[in-house]
Amino acid sequence: MVRSTIRVMPTIFVSPEKKPHGHAFVPKDQPPTRMRPLTAFAVNPLGLRFETQEEEEVVVLFLRQHFIVNLPWIAITILLLIAPTVIFPKLFSALSIHFPFPPGYYFIGTIFWYVATFGFALASFIGWFFNIYIVTNERVVDIDFFYLLYKKFSEAELLKIQDISYTSGGILAAIFNFGNVTVQTAGESPNLEFDSVPFPEKVVETIRSLTELTEGEPV
Amino acid sequence: MTPTVSDAVLLVVKVLFLIGIFLYSVFAAVLVRQEQLMAHVLEESFEPMLRLLVVGHLVISVGVFIMAIFLL
Repeated sequence: MVRSTIRVMPTIFVSPEKKPHGHAFVPKDQPPTRMRPLTAFAVNPLGLRFETQEEEEVVVLFLRQHFIVNLPWIAITILLLIAPTVIFPKLFSALSIHFPFPPGYYFIGTIFWYVATFGFALASFIGWFFNIYIVTNERVVDIDFFYLLYKKFSEAELLKIQDISYTSGGILAAIFNFGNVTVQTAGESPNLEFDSVPFPEKVVETIRSLTELTEGEPV
Repeated sequence: MTPTVSDAVLLVVKVLFLIGIFLYSVFAAVLVRQEQLMAHVLEESFEPMLRLLVVGHLVISVGVFIMAIFLL
């Protein structure tokens, strides 16, 4: 009769538990943000998805330029709105200019003026609205639209980020607390620039925390 | 006495009006297309409202063009 003995090997290495993939890093002092039309800074935004977002990828930070950068086109729009009723009559009477056209031309001209003003404001707003910066638990994404016709999609993986810095200068930037964040990456990946984003110090802090978190995770 | 504009000048102004409004309507159509493409990039709750605005803008632009053909 053969006796068999079972020996139990001692445990010399225990693999660390893998963190559940896809959990969102939320800065301690910022609750999840509900997205609104003019939201320019949202931590862990609710109800937001972007092109090329993967299933397990979670948006941690959503950014647009500070709303105050829209001030120039808003001022121009107001001027364009009051021009036909306030500026033009005074200007033409001061210069003694009279256009002897039939009333139909004035009617169509005025309507077209206001439609074009609305179009200018709409195009400017859309340009701001879709110029976005996103930080996820895997990468940093910069989506730019130029003159409504050109689209630029840039991204950098968190692991490839080498240095993050921000600059904030000027009266408006000091009052409204916005600045430019620069994300420098390793290798041939392009550097990303977040222009005029609100709370640049929080953006830098969040990206740095995420980078450290990612570097700590087993590959 | 108020000076009058000759028919030739009126015709030139009318053609310029129509060309200008037509080109603007093309721009409004481009705006709708671009908004669609941009909305594909970013899915957000405010997007339907934006779609309504750009489509409304296109409809009004085409309406002004048609009105200009009949009124000028």
